[in-house]
Amino acid sequence: MTKAAKSKTATKAKTAAQADARVFPVETRFQKMAKREGGVPREKAIEQAQNEIEGVKPRFDNWLGDELQEFKRLMKKAEGAKADAEWIKTANFHSRQLRDSAITLNFELLAFISGSLCEILDSIESGSECNMESITCHIESLLLAAQASYRHLKPEQVPDLTNGLHRVVKRVTAQPST
Amino acid sequence: MNLRDLVILVADPSSYMSMLIHSMLRGFGSNKVLEVRNSMGVFHALTAQRIDLLICDARLPLHGGLQLTRAIRSRRDNEHRTIPILMMSADSRESTIKQARDAGANMVIAKPLSPASLYDRLTWIAFNPRKFVDTSTYFGPDRRFKIEGYPGGVGRRKGDNITEVAQESGPALAQDDIDSLFTAVRSGSD
Repeated sequence: MTKAAKSKTATKAKTAAQADARVFPVETRFQKMAKREGGVPREKAIEQAQNEIEGVKPRFDNWLGDELQEFKRLMKKAEGAKADAEWIKTANFHSRQLRDSAITLNFELLAFISGSLCEILDSIESGSECNMESITCHIESLLLAAQASYRHLKPEQVPDLTNGLHRVVKRVTAQPST
Repeated sequence: MNLRDLVILVADPSSYMSMLIHSMLRGFGSNKVLEVRNSMGVFHALTAQRIDLLICDARLPLHGGLQLTRAIRSRRDNEHRTIPILMMSADSRESTIKQARDAGANMVIAKPLSPASLYDRLTWIAFNPRKFVDTSTYFGPDRRFKIEGYPGGVGRRKGDNITEVAQESGPALAQDDIDSLFTAVRSGSD
């Protein structure tokens, strides 16, 4: 089928779908109940949420410990072998979790390193060459940044580390898979 | 916004992220939050009880949040077919947002979440309900919509509704007066 014919068929299908479209209002229970009197005003709700987050912050240590153990386990698994797609997917899953939580809790250095690792793993998932050294140096940086003395640092306070990781990301993301 | 007694289901593979979202919702006044880690957990919760809002990660195992949303919207016998779905995604590219919209999600929120961004998305869903569209190829909230300001009229970005301001009650300061005030502040004098 030619491109023009395909486009004509798609337009026909779209028109047919629009012709039999049923549009109707929906008021869900969520919408009804959320409008009730007695809700929490925006500024107060945000302030209370921030306080609640402070309350769960101490549990971050245990969770972070588990995540780092998982990274160590992954590294051991990849020793002497090339990481496969499943390995990359798992590593990316854990680095995203770490980045999202670290940003929300304002652990900037951890967020920076895990974000940088996500960039590398995303790039590998999209076809860049799998460079294990680039992943290893990120995981080692994460282990360092997780230590109490580094935890509250900002990326600009450790320029050697952050510039180095920047260079690694740039090199990996510029390399197409062979 | 009053979230009391509304059942909110948070579907996120990360136990800690889930805990953070749960704590934000608690701060907003929510008292019934459930957590699941995968799409099977979502289906189980939806069949076991009434859920009022689903907050779901786009990369939720096993099938992903988009596939899950399509499944919820497509089943005609599903009493949760019109449930509000807020999709969380670490990938905020336009294509990802379009995919979530086409799957039938009410809104997308970029990860990492902040209390303000989560509160605003929930407010939009609650106070700006959209009609549902049912065609042979799509079931979900009307995709033709634009956000015309934060509900309640608080302008937050260029293009949002502007807030009402008081009437001018006297002559404004001349530029020279403003400059001299700044000069005084900078020099430390009153």
